[in-house]
Amino acid sequence: MVREAVTMERNAVLTIEAVDKHFPGVQALIDVSMDLRQGEVHAVCGENGAGKSTLMKIISGVYPPDRGSMTLNGEPYTVVNPHDAHSKGIAIIYQESSLFPDLTVLENMFMGHEIMRSILPFESPFKIIDHHAMREKAENVFQRLGMRIDLDAVVSTLGVAAKQMVEIAKALTFDSQILILDEPTAALTSNEVETLFATIRRLRSEGRSMLYISHRLDEVFQIADRVTVLRDGRCINTAQVKDVNRDKLVSWMVGRTLSNLYPKEILEIGDVILEVRGVCQGDLLKNISFKLRRSEILGIAGLAGAGRTELAQAICGLTDPDQAELIINGHKFRVTDYRRTLERGIAYISEDRQAYGLVLPMTLNVNITHKVLKKITNAIGIIDPSQEQKITQTFADKLSIKPSDGDFIVNNLSGGNQQKVSVAKSLAVEPQILILDEPTRGVDVGAKSEIHRIICNLAKEGKSIILISSDLPEILGMCDRVLVMKSGEIVGELSREELSQERVLSMAL
Amino acid sequence: MKRNWTVTQELLLGAILLAIIVFLSLTTNFSTRSGIYSFMLDVSPTVVAAIAVGMVIFTGNIDISVGTISGFVAYTAGALVKAGAPMIIWVPAAITVGTLLAGINGFITIKFRVPSLVATLAMNMVHIGAYATVLPQSGWIENLGPRFTWFGRGRIFNLIPYNFVVMIVVAIVAMFVMKYTRFGRALYAVGGNRQSAIYSGINPDVTVMKVFFVEGFLMGISALLRAMTLNEVMPSVFVGRELFFISAAVVGGISIFGGSGRIIGAVMGAALVYLLSIAMIYYGVQDYYQFALQGIIILGAVFITVTDFGKIRRRLGRESEQRAS
Amino acid sequence: MGAKASRGLVEMSNGRSRMRLNKSLFFSHQAILFYALCALIVVFGILEPVFFKPRVLLDATAIVGEIGIMAMGMTYIISTGGIDLGVGYNLQLSAIVFGVFWLSTSNLALCIAAALLTGITGGVFNGLIVSRTRIPPLVVTLSTMYLYRGLSMIVARTITYGGFPASFRTISTTKLFGFLPIQFVYLLVIFAVLDYFYERGSLGRNLKGIGFNENAVIFSGVNTHRIKLGIYTLTGLLCGLAALVYLGRLSAAKTSMGDYMNFEVITAVLLGGTSILGGVGSMRGTLIGVLLIGVLKKGFSLLNLSGNIYNFTLGLVLILSLIVFVLEETRNVKFKDRQAMSGDEKRAVV
Repeated sequence: MVREAVTMERNAVLTIEAVDKHFPGVQALIDVSMDLRQGEVHAVCGENGAGKSTLMKIISGVYPPDRGSMTLNGEPYTVVNPHDAHSKGIAIIYQESSLFPDLTVLENMFMGHEIMRSILPFESPFKIIDHHAMREKAENVFQRLGMRIDLDAVVSTLGVAAKQMVEIAKALTFDSQILILDEPTAALTSNEVETLFATIRRLRSEGRSMLYISHRLDEVFQIADRVTVLRDGRCINTAQVKDVNRDKLVSWMVGRTLSNLYPKEILEIGDVILEVRGVCQGDLLKNISFKLRRSEILGIAGLAGAGRTELAQAICGLTDPDQAELIINGHKFRVTDYRRTLERGIAYISEDRQAYGLVLPMTLNVNITHKVLKKITNAIGIIDPSQEQKITQTFADKLSIKPSDGDFIVNNLSGGNQQKVSVAKSLAVEPQILILDEPTRGVDVGAKSEIHRIICNLAKEGKSIILISSDLPEILGMCDRVLVMKSGEIVGELSREELSQERVLSMAL
Repeated sequence: MKRNWTVTQELLLGAILLAIIVFLSLTTNFSTRSGIYSFMLDVSPTVVAAIAVGMVIFTGNIDISVGTISGFVAYTAGALVKAGAPMIIWVPAAITVGTLLAGINGFITIKFRVPSLVATLAMNMVHIGAYATVLPQSGWIENLGPRFTWFGRGRIFNLIPYNFVVMIVVAIVAMFVMKYTRFGRALYAVGGNRQSAIYSGINPDVTVMKVFFVEGFLMGISALLRAMTLNEVMPSVFVGRELFFISAAVVGGISIFGGSGRIIGAVMGAALVYLLSIAMIYYGVQDYYQFALQGIIILGAVFITVTDFGKIRRRLGRESEQRAS
Repeated sequence: MGAKASRGLVEMSNGRSRMRLNKSLFFSHQAILFYALCALIVVFGILEPVFFKPRVLLDATAIVGEIGIMAMGMTYIISTGGIDLGVGYNLQLSAIVFGVFWLSTSNLALCIAAALLTGITGGVFNGLIVSRTRIPPLVVTLSTMYLYRGLSMIVARTITYGGFPASFRTISTTKLFGFLPIQFVYLLVIFAVLDYFYERGSLGRNLKGIGFNENAVIFSGVNTHRIKLGIYTLTGLLCGLAALVYLGRLSAAKTSMGDYMNFEVITAVLLGGTSILGGVGSMRGTLIGVLLIGVLKKGFSLLNLSGNIYNFTLGLVLILSLIVFVLEETRNVKFKDRQAMSGDEKRAVV
């Protein structure tokens, strides 16, 4: 045991011990420990919300852990911000670009840490930027990466893959020993992925260490040396890649016992109430078609980026798809804008209540009635306060929103209650069809089960529900049928009997 | 795509400049010795001011009060000259006044988080009001004599005004700063992506404060260049000048949103805007057309910056495909 | 076509630190402004006792008729987080168009129609660009400000237009019941109507919603493009109306009319408690702000202080009120928290 610990320490460049991290409403990481060895590619896997990105942000200095400690090359490691992490040799390459769009590749690579030289022919304290040295170093870096790129190209003109390369190159200008790649292949073509892997292998041979976060298990088996699986904020296991197979990984990612939290009743499912045909939107949605029946709860599972939200918004008219055909109750419906869709009886509850669902600084009254202004206003648009109050109270009670005072400012409600307000907003429309996008994200257990109860009651009342969720137990517990999406397409359909966490995740990955 | 726009835009600018110069030379006395001299003399202060404003715009801010700041600078210089002060006193003093006034703008912007447009708009009004209330005779000083005007009216080789030389020096220094100092790089960063700038270890507030000081300093120079050509000082002359400086910057390819653009663009933009105005005068077009024109110019330039031509092209392409099929 | 959700998050502003909607009457921003107004009247009255005469006080309301009318529309615009920098010049252009038409046709009805139409057109132009392109209202109206000013100069050359008939001038010189300036009545009527829709109508909450979080409003099925177009057009119309009122009062149209008006209008609105960032607003505050400016203007003129001192003071007042306002509101901290949340939890939508 002691010998193993010593071995671990000798090889490990980064260790993480018993790290906790808590956000309002959710415990993101619980007692996570792992280590990264020199010259290894260490994959970190887990479902949406397992805590992978949180962990990486802690390592790279975006925020500190609540508890726990880290060491770097054997010394205690604390970090105050990402720039600090950079200078200590740790660089993170995000999915979303942190580049400056109007500046060139070269300028981006060295922003904030330009190479300086003396302005005089000899050493002096008067320094200016040394473009020559930067260019040389940049060329060097790209050569080592095996890439050719125009250093003077403006970043906004580059494709996603090239931008990522620039970010990696930027990390290397810090001589980073540790690189963290967060879902690097999410937007790449298979050729670009190959190039990326070649780069990673090169870096590995130079003795650098990499943390590779990904859902894509085939990639993990291609490129990683070891893999750690996170689930619900905990570290489940770490293993050599050669010692595991796909099924094992999936079971680790998923392996939890399903307690009977879900009040699902098996209802009589009616006729087809909505038919969606041929939804296309560039690369995001590729010819999606499906049917929805009365009283049915249809789940749409898949990973982040699979296109589920885009699908929902395209159907509702919130975005402009290239093509989308809807048949509601047998009648063709042309999708134009969300107002018309709402009037036709389809409501969408967004996954990001703070940015899209609610106007946080305003009151319950305002928020809950925002989609049904027509119901509470007269011909010239004046609001009837008693009608407004009635609707607010009705739905606040129905969803047990506390406090239910109409003048209460939504910003001050708990996450769970805020989510309920978001739901109430759409319920006020009294829709036939409700599309819920991650309805229990960031919501505590109590509110979560209440929301599930509400959903089941809605189905009982004859409404049809489309439930988009990354929470597998939720999908399994609530849905009559599940569509699995991947990369903009529907890759599978499972009936309630066929449902299992492993199956869904397998299809989604 | 944006990259191509900047280069193409600068080439376009250069071409237009050339065309106008040729046109004017052929049809007016522009290409005579006196014409060239006048051009160099008059364009210098505008170029320096455009550079000043441009640098602020790089950071995503703006300063509408640059015109009225110039008035105070000119007054300070005139008053000190009248009082008998030597040049070694009144030049630095005047420039310091400009620097401090701009510094106030910067302070209000970063400390109180007031959008710079609104803050400088308000300060603009304060300045105008101050002209009449704080400055005696609204700051009008006459009969300053050769001690004041010798530099503004002087020339080397009997052709090139000292002012022009100053402008060249300022332009070169500004370009140097943007290319060779971290401060210059930081301007683009703060304007381009504030959060990324912070992640890169740049302090946006400090950077913005610094650039306002620099702008004030340069405006001091610009105001002096203009004032020192005349025998009298009248601050109200400067009111409304900011319009030209901002147009110059925008026409020169500097994005109003910040994060991109080059000093040379500001220089060429200033030259172009200036040439347009004198072309209009030569052809008897009244100067009040300039306001309308400037407004359209700014709108047009910003519109081009904002519009994603690629998306429009794709959409048009798609529509024609649908029609064809 | 309805408004579509935009790419990229719209930053929210103005988090309230209070739990409930503050309905307290005596300590609100507007109440304090009102006390300041009273105090100002008292101060001026002490310095120049004729100030306490009702006739004089009412005159204070008459001289800000134009400002007030435009400020009402401006409150709508600023509530959405936008701004119209060029209202003064829109007024100027409309007034000059009136003058030109009068000179050539002497048809009063035609002149009035032309002036109003000019104002509306100016507003529509602004509204179209603001709602249809991503150019910020700041930049749009900065440009159109110069455009309208220039156009007014082109149309007018250096002529000052005047000589309008007395029958027209009654539009501003009438005193109801012998003492109430008609401009004040116009102001109150416009205020009453706009305030009604602002406080009690769905329009008001949509405006504030757009100011706080436009995406959320779009996601409620509201056509924000149409609303934005509407408020700029409305403001343009109000500029036209204000032009008529101005002409009635001063009977002269020239190319320097609008120079300080933009600034006075914005000051009135911001003084009244409407936040420059949008989301928070009060028509009543604007009304009090307008009256305060009127009192200031009248007081200064009675004390024989020049117009320049007035401008200077007003500038200081604006700066101070901006600073105070910032200190009063808390920034929306939640948004920054969200930024720090991991990609899984906060996937950018659309």
